[in-house]
Amino acid sequence: MKNFQKNLYHQLLYIRRVQEEISNRYHPADNMKCPMHFCMGQEIGPAALSSFLRPGDAILSHHRSHGYFLANKGSLNEMIAEFHGKETGTNGGLAGSQELSCTKTHFYSGTILSGAFGMSLGDAFSKVYKNENNITISVIGDGGMEEGICSETLNMAILYKLPILFICENNKYSTHTKLNERTEYQNVSDRIKGYKIESHLFNSNDPEKLYMLLKNLTSKIRKTKKPIFLEIMTYRFNGHVGPEGDDHYNYRSKAERDLWSKKDPLKVYRKKLDKKFGIKFKNFENKILNDINKKIDRSFAFALKSSFAKVYKKYNYQNTYHKSVKKFFNNDISFNKDQEDHRPMPY
Amino acid sequence: MKKKRLLTFAESINEAQIQAMKLDKNVFIFGLGVEKTGHVFKTTLGIKKKFSSKRIFESPNSEMALTTMAAGAANSHLRPILIHHRVDFMAYTFDQLVNWISLWSFKSSGKSSMPLVIRAIIGRGWGQGPQHAKTLHSMFSYLPGLTTVMPSSPSEAKGLLLSSIMSNDPVIFLEYRALFNTKEHVPEEPYFIELGDVRHRLLGDDITVVAMGPAVLTAIKAQDICKNKITFDLFDLRVMSNYKLNKILKSLKKTKKLLCVEDGWGSGSTSSELISKIVESGVELSEPPVKITWPSSHVPMSNPLEKDFYFDERNIVKAAEKLAKIKI
Repeated sequence: MKNFQKNLYHQLLYIRRVQEEISNRYHPADNMKCPMHFCMGQEIGPAALSSFLRPGDAILSHHRSHGYFLANKGSLNEMIAEFHGKETGTNGGLAGSQELSCTKTHFYSGTILSGAFGMSLGDAFSKVYKNENNITISVIGDGGMEEGICSETLNMAILYKLPILFICENNKYSTHTKLNERTEYQNVSDRIKGYKIESHLFNSNDPEKLYMLLKNLTSKIRKTKKPIFLEIMTYRFNGHVGPEGDDHYNYRSKAERDLWSKKDPLKVYRKKLDKKFGIKFKNFENKILNDINKKIDRSFAFALKSSFAKVYKKYNYQNTYHKSVKKFFNNDISFNKDQEDHRPMPY
Repeated sequence: MKKKRLLTFAESINEAQIQAMKLDKNVFIFGLGVEKTGHVFKTTLGIKKKFSSKRIFESPNSEMALTTMAAGAANSHLRPILIHHRVDFMAYTFDQLVNWISLWSFKSSGKSSMPLVIRAIIGRGWGQGPQHAKTLHSMFSYLPGLTTVMPSSPSEAKGLLLSSIMSNDPVIFLEYRALFNTKEHVPEEPYFIELGDVRHRLLGDDITVVAMGPAVLTAIKAQDICKNKITFDLFDLRVMSNYKLNKILKSLKKTKKLLCVEDGWGSGSTSSELISKIVESGVELSEPPVKITWPSSHVPMSNPLEKDFYFDERNIVKAAEKLAKIKI
């Protein structure tokens, strides 16, 4: 097995297992009291991307963010602690799953998600401004792409030549409303060309293919400093939100679900590696599965023993200034003298 | 004695930006028309020549994405100044202010910050009508995490803008259009005014008058009319929320009378909140507090109606006469 195959499979399995365990432990314990948007079925994007992220890169993600958070080397301990509302959480317990962020690894997300798409402009701009060779990854879904700000963002990304990889995970549903009920186009990438942005459609369940594509795209962006748009056709196996599942609402057909379940990239890739490497793969899988499970257990133990967040009000403001501000000017009037000079002329 | 240097409000803002850009190479300016014909009421004049197109540049008509661009840049330790020619265009950017910028520091438990400035021109102009003359300062001040600044004079504008740019919190800096040509002595060196420090503007014994932005000047004109018969202890709020109340409370203990003057709608206004804070503080007033604001209506264009819409110094004098029970 090659290293990149090991990494790829490890990432796919890691992200899936973390989600499964969060789902399993969510109820009835109810220690994680926040809404969660799981990404089971959609791991292929973050797993394939993870090898090409450098420490100075940033990810601005939609709310279905767990996969990208972990792919960006976000701390699992801090993520699970965040879901528990603990002060050791990556957001200090103040945001939860929906706005999972990590200042030190440059990972940001939010649930009014098209705003994060727009913020990638400023993030990438700062990299150009400071002459860095880092890139910005902006992750969104087919639903988020319908907001007007996305159109503005794409125009500005190419106008200002900003090094952004836009990834649109098209899972065909905005909550429970299907794409064909919302737009005439069925592929977001179709309409990107009009902005003069290079765009790609990835419609496959082969993680290695996506790995190769992302290898090319990320290095091209680092070189050209121009944005690229990538649409990944994918499917979410879990419900829109929470571990409970929502297929009893019948918003998507069983035939459709079965089809995608059969195409599950993790399953398909596992089969491929098993067939190719046999016992070598099995040994590898056992080892990483064991490591992952232990890591997950440790993260839950860490979260449970951490203290709840205690303060929050003071964080609304930094209440600090740039180093050039050493003292403040006091111009409470010196009464009786200089009054004329302090009086603006009438308009 | 050397004659003191006078600058207009617009020149002060120009100078503050130039000095901030010299103090920190991470300060940059962008927005629609910042480098075109009018140079935003001359406030960006000459900046491109002094610096470069890296530090000041044009933008498309995309207020939402422009605001997130400022947010993303600020999160990466730049200090952007985004300019809107009219505050009304900021209505497009409600999401960015409400869901991203204002809560950025909070949701990171203080680990991330958003040191940006959004400059917007507000208020009265030549028949600007309902979509071009709003102030909206009280609306912004409702949001925790955001600082809304409204300067009242050239020297104030310079010190407050320098502080706003150098603040590590996001600031909305609102410039009242009718103030742009007012003149005042403005010190040459860069100086900073503490955001949240209320300025004691005039010393008086009879009525505590609290104003902000252009209303400070209107109140000064009213004091001129009143001469020594009624004297105002006048305060310039400067910042629409999170200001320190102590100077005003101290004054109220002396005057026991409160008059608020505000260029904006009265309901849910900065004055309303100030009166609420004062009542909550338990300080005793001898008369019910009085509030002079715009009527609860959109701004009419037609000139006679426009004149009727805006208050002036005579309205303040009238209110003062009633409060002080003295006829001028």
